[in-house]
Amino acid sequence: MSTPTPASLDATANAEIPAHVPPDLVHAVGITESAEFLAAPHRFMAELHDKYPPIFFSPSVTNKSAWQLTKYDDAFFVLRHPEFFTSAGSGPFPRDPDDYFNIIPLEIEPPHHRKYRAIVDPLVSPKAIMAMEGAIRGLANELIDQFIDKGECEFARDFGRPLPVGVFLDIMGLPRDMMDEFVRWAMGLLHAQDRQIAQQVMGEVTAYLQTVIAEKKANPDGGAVSAIVHGRPGGGELMSAKEIFGFVFFLFIAGLDTVFATLNNIFVWLAKNPDRRREIMAEPDNMANAVEELLRVFTVTFSGRTLTQDYELRGVEMKKGDRVTSILPACNYDPDIFPNPREIDFHRPRKPTLAFAGGVHSCMGAHLARLEIRICIEEFLRRIPEFELKAGTKIEYWPGGVVGPKTVPLSWKA
Amino acid sequence: MTTVTYVEHDGTRHAVDVPDDDSVMQGAVNNGIEGIAAECGGGLACATCHCYVDEAWIGRVGTAEGAEDDMLEAVAAERRPNSRLSCQIPVSAALDGLIIYLPEAQY
Repeated sequence: MSTPTPASLDATANAEIPAHVPPDLVHAVGITESAEFLAAPHRFMAELHDKYPPIFFSPSVTNKSAWQLTKYDDAFFVLRHPEFFTSAGSGPFPRDPDDYFNIIPLEIEPPHHRKYRAIVDPLVSPKAIMAMEGAIRGLANELIDQFIDKGECEFARDFGRPLPVGVFLDIMGLPRDMMDEFVRWAMGLLHAQDRQIAQQVMGEVTAYLQTVIAEKKANPDGGAVSAIVHGRPGGGELMSAKEIFGFVFFLFIAGLDTVFATLNNIFVWLAKNPDRRREIMAEPDNMANAVEELLRVFTVTFSGRTLTQDYELRGVEMKKGDRVTSILPACNYDPDIFPNPREIDFHRPRKPTLAFAGGVHSCMGAHLARLEIRICIEEFLRRIPEFELKAGTKIEYWPGGVVGPKTVPLSWKA
Repeated sequence: MTTVTYVEHDGTRHAVDVPDDDSVMQGAVNNGIEGIAAECGGGLACATCHCYVDEAWIGRVGTAEGAEDDMLEAVAAERRPNSRLSCQIPVSAALDGLIIYLPEAQY
């Protein structure tokens, strides 16, 4: 999950910079909200390698000041060493200190982490996800049916949003008729840009999830909410009400916005690059590689950690308690790992990317996300091979911790 | 320390010393060998540390069982009788000289 770093340049003026941070490593680069970021966020990410040192300190008063990592190797190192860089307390959502809950399993570290993750792993294992292919393809086509004859759609609203929400509801064991409500909640919680709306939506979501938790307690089924409610970490006791809520809530925030943003990014690019669409369609056997490459260049999230002890990384002295953000979208443009990083090459030699982070907290939905993205591209291009951005469209991006456009208006010959 | 040789899909060989009780997956990841992705970090949850155990060694290493056997049904590269998830192979002195072949793709 992401750690938003909305540090407006003005807001950094009064930010506290710890004494051990060398002044030449302090850079208020405006990740996720500067004009340069909002104009072209992934170009901005690629250019971080040219403009700033590989590790720099970004001050902020609106959010937590943090070290920023842009090197692939550094990010993998941090993500693979939770003993030095812990995810405890790193969740991207403000919580009431009087009614605090852990976001599970993200904020639980080894060895306990595995006991929690094991409860939902069977639902998102490669095998379980493969079994969902038909249902996802069916939903994709239902959505396309609704707009194909109109010759236009607002992709984000009509496809990018409802597809992952529908799949998410299936996995959670929630009814599809909750789709509109979930779409509204996701928008309100993640993109309202208004604290009051976010808080009100948070209240609605909490009330709904508590009702669902009670219902699944009484009537177990094969969905994720039921698995969590009846799960026994490590074969021991049932989880507390707070743990259950933190777990269900985490799946809610993790499952709704990331595939949405990724699809929207990809379809802006597809709309602008007809020759590359044809290349994808001409090479159906290379689809897995194409999806990996698109995930590399359109990575949407960040990973936040906190140091458990003093640690020196790439010659930079960090202190216990410092925060560290791996800028995953930038790490995937590391020229030392991906030569000509801005070139989108579907035949690039295979290397793991950081699109789903790494280490024990790597995205549990990675296989699902890959399948959803592959199916969406395949089905959309099969049914609507020629399309473009609506004339006069200027793509605007959301500020905040999930990188993607606000709307994606597409048109084609009906 | 036990020496394990990893052979990448393109034939490149890496002989590395792996501490006993580390897994074959950890030996690859900690030595920068890229053919193993190991997204879930050894949790038997992702099937991205797929490897082929050298035929001469498979008897000593053993074949996949249970949950690992299920996971192997979903690996990206071809599954073979000597397919294993490398996170499930603990290294020990008995495996000194082990040869592991890496598949073309992990997802």
